[in-house]
Order: sequence, then C-alpha cells, then structure tokens
Amino acid sequence: MRAFRWDMFTEFFVKILPYISVTLTYVVGSVLFGFFIGIGIAMLRLSKKRALQVIGSLYVTIFRSVPSVVLLFVIYYGLPMWVENSFGIILEDTDTIVYVIVTFSLLLGSSMSEIIRTSYLAVPKGQYEAAVMVGLTPFTAIRRIVFPQGFVVALPNFGNIFIFMIKEGALAYTIGLHDILGRGMYLGGLKANVYNLELYLALTFIYWPCTFILEKAFKMWEKSLRNKRKKEKIC
Amino acid sequence: MLEIKNVKKSFRDLEVLKDVSLDIGDGEVVVILGPSGSGKTTLLRCISFLEKADGGSLTLGDKEVSLKKATKKQINEFRKNMAFVFQNYNLFANKTVLENVMEGLTVARKIPKQEAMERALEALEWVGVINKKDAYPSELSGGQQQRVGIARAVVLNPEVILFDEPTSALDPELVGEVLDLIKKVAKRGITMIVVTHEISFAEEVASRVVFMDGGVVVEEGTPDKILVSPKEERTKEFLSRVLPKDMYYI
Repeated sequence: MRAFRWDMFTEFFVKILPYISVTLTYVVGSVLFGFFIGIGIAMLRLSKKRALQVIGSLYVTIFRSVPSVVLLFVIYYGLPMWVENSFGIILEDTDTIVYVIVTFSLLLGSSMSEIIRTSYLAVPKGQYEAAVMVGLTPFTAIRRIVFPQGFVVALPNFGNIFIFMIKEGALAYTIGLHDILGRGMYLGGLKANVYNLELYLALTFIYWPCTFILEKAFKMWEKSLRNKRKKEKIC
Repeated sequence: MLEIKNVKKSFRDLEVLKDVSLDIGDGEVVVILGPSGSGKTTLLRCISFLEKADGGSLTLGDKEVSLKKATKKQINEFRKNMAFVFQNYNLFANKTVLENVMEGLTVARKIPKQEAMERALEALEWVGVINKKDAYPSELSGGQQQRVGIARAVVLNPEVILFDEPTSALDPELVGEVLDLIKKVAKRGITMIVVTHEISFAEEVASRVVFMDGGVVVEEGTPDKILVSPKEERTKEFLSRVLPKDMYYI
C-alpha cells in the first residue's frame, strides 16, 4: 500500500480551485433562468383555464421524471440538431456550458414552479384583495404585495435548489465540461488515475465550503428578511 | 350617487344573490343586516368586483358598468372611487403602518411621495394610531389594525367606503372603539355601506337599514322603521333572535 501524498492533494486542490468560477456560472445561470421558467409554469398551473393547467402539470411531470444525465445528453445532441434544422444556425462552436445551463434551467424550472406555486398560495388571498381595492392593478398587486411575502416563504427552498444545483451540476463532466469535477478528472487522468484518492479528497474540500457558505448565506438572508417584520409569526 | 341594479350571483348550485337592487344617495350610511348566509358579504364583494357577479350593474357618479362583463380597465377605474374595509383587516404584512396607508396614494394614484406621506400621517393621526406608524401590522392589536384599515380607506377620499363586518374579528372589548371610529367616518359625510351584526350601531348611525335574507332584500327603511316596527315576518324573527329580550321593542 502506498502512502497518502499530501503534495499531490495540494497540487490538485490549487489547480482545480479556479474552476469554481465555471461551476458558479452554470449554478447561477441555471437557477436564474430556472426561476423565470418556474414563474411561467406556476402561472400556467394557477391559471383558471383547464388547458393551461394541463400544459403546466405536463411540463412538471416530464422534467421531474427524467434523470439529469439523460436530459443533459438529449440537450447536448438534440439542441444543435434542432436549431440547425429549424433555424439554419450551426451551433458547433457553442460553449459546452450553454448546454449545461439549458438543461438545468429546464430541469429546475419544474421544481421551482412547485416552490413558487405553493409559496404564492401560502400568502392569504386577502392581501391581494386589499391591494386591488386600494387601486393597484392585479399585476402591481402581485408584484408589490403578494410576491415579496411569497418570496420569504420560498427562500429556504431556493437555498436548497442552489445546493442541489452545485452537486447535481457536477454531472456536466459527462459532456466534457471543465468545471470543478470535470477539471479534476482531467488532471487525475494526466497522472494515470494513480492519485485518485488525493484527487477526490481535494474535490471534497472544494465542494464542501461552497455548499456550506451558500447555506449560511441563505440562512442569514432569510433571517434578515424576517427580522424586518419582527414578530410576524407570534401575533 | 350609487346605484346597484339586479345583482345575481350563484356559487355552483347555490343561489346566493337573487336579483338585489339598492339605490344609495350621496352621504348616506346604509347598514345591511341579515343572518349569516343571507348574501350581504357577497353583495359587497360583487360590487367591488372581488367576486364576478352573474348579472347586474353598478352606477357610481355618472358612470355605469356591468358587474359581469366589466373589463380590467373599468374595474380599476371604479375601484379607484371606492374603498373596502375588511373583516380580517388585511393590512399588507410586508409594509409598515405608514406604508400601508400610502400605498394606494403613491402607487395607484401617482401622488408625489411627500404629499402622500402628509396625507397618510394626517389620516393616522385622525384614527389615533400615529404612534404606531413605523410598526408592522403583526405588532398591532386587532383594534389598532382595523383603525389602520380604516385610515387606509379614508385617505383615498373615495366616493363610497364598503365595510365588511369590520368588528366581527375583534375581541369584544375592542369593538366599541372601532365602532366609534366608523361613526366618526360617517360624520365626514362619506357614503358608506356597512355589513354588520351590531344592531345598536345600525340604530345610531344608519340613515337606512337594509334587511337581507336568502339572497334578497326583505325590507329596507329608516332604522326606526326596520328595527322598531318591522313589517316582514322574517325581519321580526331575525331581530327577536339577535336582540336581547329587554332591548326588543316590539
């Protein structure tokens, strides 16, 4: 049995660290676009028209039942073909990260829509009614009164989505993206995978603070929003 | 002038309002009484478009609108001439007391912030909760919340204020002070429609009492006429149930 090589561990750690930026790019990108898709789908599901409701739930069911890896490859191979055939645009030079963001935006859209829908429903209807009765339009009433209150309800779940995305996004290595994991596996390969223990331990110590800091940040954000409205829950 | 014509509303198979009409003059205080399920609250919600009526129309000033087919724009226009005081206050939980009162002025009516704040502070002073202006609704008692609810309505200077059981959610010892405040609103000459169970309030403040039961207006008239010498059997029966024996005049 060989000895644990701390120098290898350090080397991997230092070389992989800058690739956090790649991981953060697709995490933030996917969560952001996923949020907007989520709002759209939640609106469909909350609509009074039956047909729109069905489209919304169909979206949620489809994207909830497909494993991320499968969807990642469907998008990776399918999107360029579809875009070329329907718009005549060739996507050959497109950065791999784009496919990752598209995939996870679609995927997160379905879970986000559920979070948004339930948070919206958690705000008492009277808040909306009072808002339109002081003369706000329905849209403004939702934007200024319902949304901010629903957001506080949704925040812990959004935090979980971020953490899920950091971990699940690591699958991007399968289509060759050099994010934290992708870069790590590449560097490991250069050493003929001899120092894989050192490599994966280094990866562990890169991922761990990422999720830890994120978790704390969301807790603090939530606390500050709640503090603003002090005893809200007590009365 | 406020004219409510032929309002109909059903929830599935349940006919809640069967052709209700009311004519209300400027500055009138109309109190609607009736057993629960008689359609009083639904009537208020229909004329404020919170429920879509199955038929009927509303005239406010010189404008008329169909309660069933009103467009979003019409609804918004009509709502700017009315205000609503809710049973559960419904103060905006994410806004301070002052912001609650200012919202309708600055956002809906585009009144400059400085002027809106002055008017809002004046309204809060008038309802007696100026010392709570920076508090959030959850930090207030029910009575204080409803005072803010009334300030939020009065500050808009509406042609009519609709009160939907404004004291029903309050602790008994707080009912009196809120009723006193509503009386003060009545003295300002604002047209008011008040749905309530407080008979003594109706007797003291109403210019007209409307008794509703089973989705129709059973009878209406001055408080003396309805509360002291009602003609209809249903009105008599209702009053005998809600008035304590020694207060029952008949």
